[in-house]
Amino acid sequence: MKLLRLLAAGFSMSLRRSVAFRVNLVFDVLLAFTGLGTAVAAVLIVFTRADTLAGWSKAEFLILIGTYQLITGLRTTFIDPNLSWFPETGIRNGKLDGYLLQPAPSLFLSSLSLSSPLQLIQFVLGAGVLGWGIAAADRGPSAGGAVSWLVLVVAGIVVTWALSVLLACLAFWAPKLQLDVFYHSAWQFGRYPTDVFARPLRILLTYVFPMALIASVPSTALLRGPQFGVLVAGIAAAGGAAALAALAWRAGLRRYTGATS
Amino acid sequence: MTTLSRTAVLLGFRIRQEVLEWSGAWWFLLTLVVQAVVAPLIGLFVWSAVYPDDPGIGRYYVAVVLVTLMTESFEQHTFSERIYNGTLSHELLRPQPVVVGVIGMNLAIRGWLTLLGAPIVLLTAIARQIGFDGWAVLRSTPYLLLAAVLVFLWTFLLSLTAFWTDRVHAVVGFGSQLIFLFGGTAAPIGLLPDTWRRIAEILPFYGMIGLPAEIATGTRSGGSLGYQLVWVAVLAGTVAVLWRAGVRRYTAVGS
Repeated sequence: MKLLRLLAAGFSMSLRRSVAFRVNLVFDVLLAFTGLGTAVAAVLIVFTRADTLAGWSKAEFLILIGTYQLITGLRTTFIDPNLSWFPETGIRNGKLDGYLLQPAPSLFLSSLSLSSPLQLIQFVLGAGVLGWGIAAADRGPSAGGAVSWLVLVVAGIVVTWALSVLLACLAFWAPKLQLDVFYHSAWQFGRYPTDVFARPLRILLTYVFPMALIASVPSTALLRGPQFGVLVAGIAAAGGAAALAALAWRAGLRRYTGATS
Repeated sequence: MTTLSRTAVLLGFRIRQEVLEWSGAWWFLLTLVVQAVVAPLIGLFVWSAVYPDDPGIGRYYVAVVLVTLMTESFEQHTFSERIYNGTLSHELLRPQPVVVGVIGMNLAIRGWLTLLGAPIVLLTAIARQIGFDGWAVLRSTPYLLLAAVLVFLWTFLLSLTAFWTDRVHAVVGFGSQLIFLFGGTAAPIGLLPDTWRRIAEILPFYGMIGLPAEIATGTRSGGSLGYQLVWVAVLAGTVAVLWRAGVRRYTAVGS
């Protein structure tokens, strides 16, 4: 509860800072619109030439893009402002030292204390595209499908957070190693079902950078109903990834001796 | 020594300096390579899934990857940041045009990206058993050079908005989305719906990516150099006007 209050306080402060610059708000809204518009347009072009792509119809693809955008919005709002460029900002510039002195868990402060509220626009637009996809689909999702979609989206967010923490933890051992860009590049593959890609890339996107869990798996659950095995695997992946991230963070802190030492 | 040859000598020195400076940042350059190749690779997979029996798709996208690497521009990082932190003043005080430094860095980064990205292009071509006609590749050289000029002018033009706004990354990001959609990365423009294709053929973005890639793959045999040259003239003129207005507006820190 204390952490939730801290999260809310951090979000509130970030929101007040953001709305002070109204022109920036206009730019962010426009960029979010054009970014999503470009992604949707790229897919719609494909469907002027084919009825399905890797077994997915246009409406199903819209649901996939909506889900992807929704999670991307949450990532850029709550995770990226903290963990992007962590090796430089957290370790080399010594921001982590400040977090270690504060009376709250350092993992929480380092990974969730800051936010970019304006990026929630992406979340809203993603929800819009998701609604468009559901409306265009031949049949609406079942209640079970909707619940399992929600569970898998939460699992996807937890895995996203854990992966960002794990990448940040590498900085404790190799402070100059910056893998964010690779992660963000791999993230772009999540906009498409993994069946589209060649086998080696498909394996990479399922097991190494589990981008399939970000959009493909929840969208499949929403469209084709809940599957017990997938739900359990999603929850297990989220729990395992979160535990691994916490362990890696603890091990990293044991190694950390301060930016100025 | 004429002004032109003096500028060429200065540019040569600047490129050499920048190539050496960037040689120590190979890891960062590698991240730029990965960023550059992701969108064309996704296009390759998606359109190969739509047309699995068409080898032209693979050839086209391998060419797009190479064109993208050879024409990437990052003036929103290299130039605009100088406006924001005030170090543009140092460049303005030098007895040489500011753009010499900007072009020098641009060409040095492109050289490194091409070198570091070449293995990805080769691996993709080998994995998908793609070959190129040497003459077609040779014919694409002037188109590629003009594409490189166009991408630079477009990115530099948008980066100049840093004189007026601190959201230059959003502005350039929007410009990149236009290149992605109308330039031939999201889809070869021949596959766009008719209205979109006609619009894309008029806009400058097709000349930045799709046109040189199509010439290199032999899909198009020639023509359209005039179209690229017209856009080079238009963008260069706009850059000159915006530069003058921007410098008049610029106030250095401390003045």
